[in-house]
Amino acid sequence: MDCYTANWNPLGDSAFYRKYELYSMDWDLKEELRDCLVAAAPYGGPIALLRNPWRKEKAASVRPVLEIYSASGVPLASLLWKSGPVVSMGWSAEEELLCVQEDGAVLVYGLHGDFRRHFSMGNEVLQNRVLDARIFHTELGSGVAILTGAHRFTLSANVGDLKLRRMPEVPGLQSAPSCWTTLFQERVAHILLAVGPDLYLLDHATCSTVTPPGLPPGVTSFLQMAVSFTYRHLALFTDTGCIWMGTASLTDKLCEFNCNIRAPPKQMVWCSRPRSKERAVVVAWERRLMVVGNAPESIQFVLDEDSYLVPELDGVRIFSRSTHEFLHEVPVASEEIFKIASMAPGALLLEAQKEYEKESQKADEYLREIQELGQLTQAVQQCIEAAGHEHGPDMQKSLLRAASFGKCFLDRFPPDSFVRMCQDLRVLNAVRDYHIGIPLTYSQYKQLTIQVLLDRLVLRRLYPLAIQICEYLRLPEVQGVSRILAHWACYKVQQKDVSDEDVARAINQKLGDTPGVSYSDIAARAYGCGRTELAIKLLEYEPRSGEQVPLLLKMKRSKLALNKAIESGDTDLVFTVLLHLKNELNRGDFFMTLRNQPMALSLYRQFCKHQELETLKDLYNQDDNHQELGSFHLRASYAAEERIEGRVAALQAAADAFYKAKNEFAAKATEDQMRLLRLQRRLEDELGGQFLDLSLHDTVTTLIVGGHNKRAEQLARDFRIPDKRLWWLKLTALADLEDWEELEKFSKSKKSPIGYLPFVEICMKQHNKYEAKKYASRVGPEQKVKALLLVGDVAQAADVAIEHRNEAELSLVLSHCTGASDGATADKIQRARAQAQKK
Amino acid sequence: MHVRWCLRKRGSMEVRGDEYVSCDEWAFSLLPLDVDLLSMELPEFFRDYFLEGDQRWINTVAQALHLLSTLYGPFPNSYGIGRCARMSYELWRKLEEEEESETKSRRPEIGRIFLLDRDMDFVTALCSQVVYEGLVDDTFRIKCGSVDFGPEVTSSDKSLKVLLNAEDKVFSEIRNEHFSNVFGFLSQKARNLQAQYDRRRGMDIKQMKNFVSQELKGLKQEHRLLSLHIGACESIMKKKTKQDFQELIKTEHALLEGFNIRESTSYIEEHIDRQVSPIESLRLMCLLSITENGLIPKDYRSLKTQYLQSYGPEHLLTFSNLRRAGLLTEQAPGETLTAVESKVSRLVTDKAAGKITDAFSSLAKRSNFRAISKKLNLIPRVDGEYDLKVPRDMAYVFSGAYVPLSCRIIEQVLERRSWQGLEEVVRLLNCSECSFTDMTKEDRASSESLRLILVVFLGGCTFSEISALRFLGREKGYRFIFLTTAVTNSARLMEAMSEVKT
Repeated sequence: MDCYTANWNPLGDSAFYRKYELYSMDWDLKEELRDCLVAAAPYGGPIALLRNPWRKEKAASVRPVLEIYSASGVPLASLLWKSGPVVSMGWSAEEELLCVQEDGAVLVYGLHGDFRRHFSMGNEVLQNRVLDARIFHTELGSGVAILTGAHRFTLSANVGDLKLRRMPEVPGLQSAPSCWTTLFQERVAHILLAVGPDLYLLDHATCSTVTPPGLPPGVTSFLQMAVSFTYRHLALFTDTGCIWMGTASLTDKLCEFNCNIRAPPKQMVWCSRPRSKERAVVVAWERRLMVVGNAPESIQFVLDEDSYLVPELDGVRIFSRSTHEFLHEVPVASEEIFKIASMAPGALLLEAQKEYEKESQKADEYLREIQELGQLTQAVQQCIEAAGHEHGPDMQKSLLRAASFGKCFLDRFPPDSFVRMCQDLRVLNAVRDYHIGIPLTYSQYKQLTIQVLLDRLVLRRLYPLAIQICEYLRLPEVQGVSRILAHWACYKVQQKDVSDEDVARAINQKLGDTPGVSYSDIAARAYGCGRTELAIKLLEYEPRSGEQVPLLLKMKRSKLALNKAIESGDTDLVFTVLLHLKNELNRGDFFMTLRNQPMALSLYRQFCKHQELETLKDLYNQDDNHQELGSFHLRASYAAEERIEGRVAALQAAADAFYKAKNEFAAKATEDQMRLLRLQRRLEDELGGQFLDLSLHDTVTTLIVGGHNKRAEQLARDFRIPDKRLWWLKLTALADLEDWEELEKFSKSKKSPIGYLPFVEICMKQHNKYEAKKYASRVGPEQKVKALLLVGDVAQAADVAIEHRNEAELSLVLSHCTGASDGATADKIQRARAQAQKK
Repeated sequence: MHVRWCLRKRGSMEVRGDEYVSCDEWAFSLLPLDVDLLSMELPEFFRDYFLEGDQRWINTVAQALHLLSTLYGPFPNSYGIGRCARMSYELWRKLEEEEESETKSRRPEIGRIFLLDRDMDFVTALCSQVVYEGLVDDTFRIKCGSVDFGPEVTSSDKSLKVLLNAEDKVFSEIRNEHFSNVFGFLSQKARNLQAQYDRRRGMDIKQMKNFVSQELKGLKQEHRLLSLHIGACESIMKKKTKQDFQELIKTEHALLEGFNIRESTSYIEEHIDRQVSPIESLRLMCLLSITENGLIPKDYRSLKTQYLQSYGPEHLLTFSNLRRAGLLTEQAPGETLTAVESKVSRLVTDKAAGKITDAFSSLAKRSNFRAISKKLNLIPRVDGEYDLKVPRDMAYVFSGAYVPLSCRIIEQVLERRSWQGLEEVVRLLNCSECSFTDMTKEDRASSESLRLILVVFLGGCTFSEISALRFLGREKGYRFIFLTTAVTNSARLMEAMSEVKT
C-alpha cells in the first residue's frame, strides 16, 4: 500500500498522473525507431514500421521492409516494400494500414500485410508530389489529409466513401507551413496551419486568419501543434518555449506553460480522460518527456530510449525498443481509494476487507465507520469502479473482493454492476495478455464496444478466444458464435494449400447447422478467392435453395443454378435464372437447355406469351409443335395483322401448320375463314357497311337485315349452313325487322325444320299477338298446348290438353288459370282429371 | 389486387435490369372473405396451371399453407388428390423443414387438411348453381366477397355495393338454401319484421323510447337487407325465366344422369344455333364431353363447326385450350384406358416430375365420370319428390339430382381417414400417383382439433361446393374452413379458357 502510489506524480493540486508498464517489448528491432516511419493504431491497436524509408544517405537499391507488430511486439507481418516512396502511414478505424506514397497513391494493407486495395488522392497531388500526410479519425470514418509540394491541402474525410476535397489556397504562401493539423467541427474537417507567426484555418470554401486568445507576445513561429483525441482542444508550441492550451475553436484559452526549451519537440499529444476537468499535454523531445497542464510545475520524465507517443482516449501510450508504457491521469475512484491517508468510503472498505482477512476486529471498526456515514453503497461502487481502472489482476482482485465484502452488508444492492465488472475485467485481462497484445483500458473498451472488440479479434484470426468470449458473455448465437464461425470459415477457404474436400468437410464439421450461419456467404468468399469448386461444395450445405442460386449464377454455373431453382420450387427464382441463361447462352443452346427442363420451359413459354411473341414461335418451331404453331398464326391473323392480305397470309400459315399437325378440322375451319374474310371484304366493297370480323352467322344476319336475301342464301349454300340454323337465323332477323309479311312468306316457303313454336315465341317477344296466333295453329300437336298458352288462349289450351289426356299438360294449363275468367276452364280440367282417374 | 400482380411479376421486371428500382414483395397471400372462407384471389391460377402447365403459383400456395401452419400449428393429418395438390404439399413440407421454427412444438388447432385439384371434378363446377349464394354469384358475380346490385335490384336509380358474408344476418340464413325455399323464407321474415314494427302500436312513451333506442336500428338494418335480397331474388327470377331456365336445368340433369344424350345434344346444338350465349353453350358442351367421356367424333366436329359459325373462328383456339385442359375432348376409339394408364404410370416413375405436365397435356384426359358416379353413388335414387326444404344429403345443392363429386370424395376420405377402399375411384380419376395421406402426427391431435378441417381447392371452388360441405359439417359435426385460389363458377372457368379478340 505504501508503495502503491509511488509512481503517482502530482500535477498541480488536484491531479495525479501515473505511468505504468504494459509490456516489455521483445521485438527484435535492428534499427532505431527514429530511422523508421512509425504508425500505431489507437485502442491498443497494431504498430506498423517501415524501415529504411527513402533516406538520402542509404543506397536506393535496398528495398525497405514493412513490418507489422501487435502492441506487445509480436510480429504479425513482414513484407518487402516494392512500391514507390512512402511519405506517411496510418491506421484506419477498421485497422487497415494506409500508406500514402509520394505520388499521392494510397495503398491499403490488412493487419496481416495482405494488400487490400489502393486509391489515388487526385491528379493535383500526383503532379505536385506529397510533402506531408496525416491519417485522422472522426465520427465519419478515417480520413486522409495531404499537403502537396505546391503547399496546397487535399483531404478526404472518409476513405471508405472517397470524396476528395481540395482546400482553398493560403494567399501568399511561399514555403511549407511549420506545422499543421486537422480539426473536426460540426461534422466538417478543417485544416489549421501555422506559417511564421500566423495561423490560418482552411475550411471547404475559405481561408481565414485566426489568433489564439491570450497568446504570449514575442512568438515568431509555431513549432508544433496538437489536437485532442475528441477534437475539443488544441495545444500550440511556440518558438519561445511556451505551450498554449485552449479550445479547438480558438475561442477560449485554458492555460499556458513556459517550459523554457526552445528546441522543437519531437511529438506533442494531449493526455486527458473523458469527463475529467484536468487538461494536460505530453511533450516529448529526444531524451525528455514532460507533462504540462494548468499548474506552475510540470512532471518530467527522462527517456532512456527513442520513444514514440500514441494518443489514446484516456491517456497516452509510449513505446520504445524495449518497453511499452501507459501514461494517464489517475481516475477519481482510484485516487480516492489509494491517496495517502484517504478517508473516502472506498478506501475504508478496502481497509476493512484487508483486516477481515487478517481476522482482526478492526474490520468491524472500519465497516461501522462507513455505515455510520451511510456511505456503504458508495464505497462498494467506488471499489468496483476502481477495479476497472487497475491494470494488474492482483489489485483488481483485492478491490473486487472488497466490493463483494461490502455488498454483504447491504440490502438489495443490485448485483449486475459487480457481475458485469467481473466479466469485463476477465475479457480485458484476456485480450491484454502478451500473446494477444490489445492493451485496452476499461474506458476504451466501453467506447469500443464488445462487438468491435470481437471484430478485432476476428481480424487477428484469434477465433478460439473470440468464441470463448462470446460463450462466456452468453452473447446470442447469431451475433456471437455463429458470426465468428462464419468469419473463420471465410478465412479457412483462403487456405490454398488445403484441398477443396478437406476445407469443405472441416467447415461443415465445425459449423454444422449452427443457426445464423450462411453457407452461401462463405461460398461467395471461396468464389472470391477463385475456388469455384469449393464454393459449389459449400453451397451443397446451404439448406435454402434460394440462397444457392444467385451465387451459382455469378459463378456462371447457370445450368446447375437452374436445377437448384427448379428444386426449390420457387418460380421467381427459376425466372431469374432463365433470364440470366437467355443472355448468357446462344439461342440454340438456351432452347436445348430448356428442352430438358419442362417446368422451366413452360415458365418461359408463359413469359414469351406476354413479352416476346416471336420467340414463342421459334420455340414451337424447334419442337415441331405444329398444333401450337397453327394456333400462333391463327391468333396473329386477328391480333397482330391489320391488312387483309396479311391476315389471309397468317391464316394460310395456320392452315398449313394444322395440316402438318394432322388436325384437318382446324385446317378446314381456317380455310373457311380465309374464304369468309375475302368475301366479307368484297361485301364491304360492294354493299358498304361493316362485315369484316363478323362470324358467319352474323354475316348472314347482317345481309338479311340489309335486305340482301339472295346474297344471304348464296352465302348459306357456300358455307353449308344447316337448315335449322338458317331458319333460326332468318326468323330472328325478320322478327327484329318486324317484317311480318316476309316472315309469313318465309314460314310458308317450306316445312319448318324447327317447328312453328319458335315463330309463336318470337312474335310474342315482339308483342305481336295477332301474328303469333297465325303460327299457333300450325304448331305440331306435342307443342300445341304451350303455343296456345303463349298466345294466351287458355280455354283452347285446356281443350287440347284434355284431348291429349296428358297429365303434365293439364297441370301446366291449370297453373295458367289465374283470373276469374279462367274459372270455368279450371273446373273443366278438374273434371277431366277426375274422369281420367276413374278410368 | 393489382399491386400483388405487379409484384409477383418480379421475374420479368428484372429483364430491364433497372438497378435503381428495388422491388419488395408484398407477400399477399390470404384474404379472409368470410368466417370460414379464405381466398388467395388468384383467378389466374386456373388458366395458368391447368391450361398452361405453369407451376409458378404452387410456391404461392405452399407459402400460404406455411403461413397458416405458423399461425395454427402443424396439420397432423393431411390428405390430398391431384398433381398440384401433391406438389404444393411437398413444397410446403420442404418449407417447413427449412425453417425449423417453433411451430413443430405447437399444439395443432386444425386437425386435418384436404387438398384437392380442380381438375379432379370439373362437373360440379360446370353445373348451374341453384343454391342462393351460388345463384347470386352466377347472376351478379360476387367479387372478393362483395357484389354490385344494380338498379333493378335496389329499386332505385343507383347501384349498391353489398358485402355478402356472415355479418349479413339475412344473407347468412339463406345463403346455403335452395333457391326454391328462399322466397318463402324471405316473405316469412318480412312478416316477422312487420310484426315487430307493429308492436309499436299500443306502446307507452317509455316503451317507445326503449324501442327506438334499442331495437329500431336493428330492425331498420334488417329491413334494408331484406328488401335488397328480395330485389335480388326477383331479378334472378326475371333473368332465369327469360332464358328458359327449367329447360336448361332439365338438360343438365339428363347429362349428369346419362340418359337422353341425343336429345341433350340437339338441345345444345339449338342453343348454339340461336346464339343464346357463347359461354353457356361452351359450358354445356364441356359438361356433355366430361359426363360422356368425350364427344363422339361426329358430334365433336359438328358442334365445333356450329360454334365457330355462330361466334367466329378465333374459338378454334378456345377449343384447342379446352382439349388441352381435358374439358372438351373427342372419344378416342383406339386408346383404351389401360393403355393410357400404363403410359402415365411410366412417366410418373420418371424422376423429373415436371415431365409429366407436358405428357399429360398431350394425352387425352379421360374423365370416367359415369363410372365414378356409379361407384360413389353421386346420383341419388329418389323415391317421390326430393324435399328441398329438409335436405337429406349434399345433393340438395343441385336440386337433389347430383351429389357434388368433390364433396363426396372429401366426405369419403374423412370417413375412412385414408384413401383405403377408394383405390378404384382414384384409379378412375387418373390419380393413382397423386393421392396421398400423411398422418405422422396423429397422436398429438386432440379430438377437438380433428373436427376442424381445412379444405384447399386448387383452381377455385364454387359456392355450391361450399354450401354442400357446410351441410356435411352440420350433419357430421365437422367444421370446415375453405381455402381456395379463388371462388369460381362455370362462367369464370369458361372465360378463363376462351380466346377473346382484343
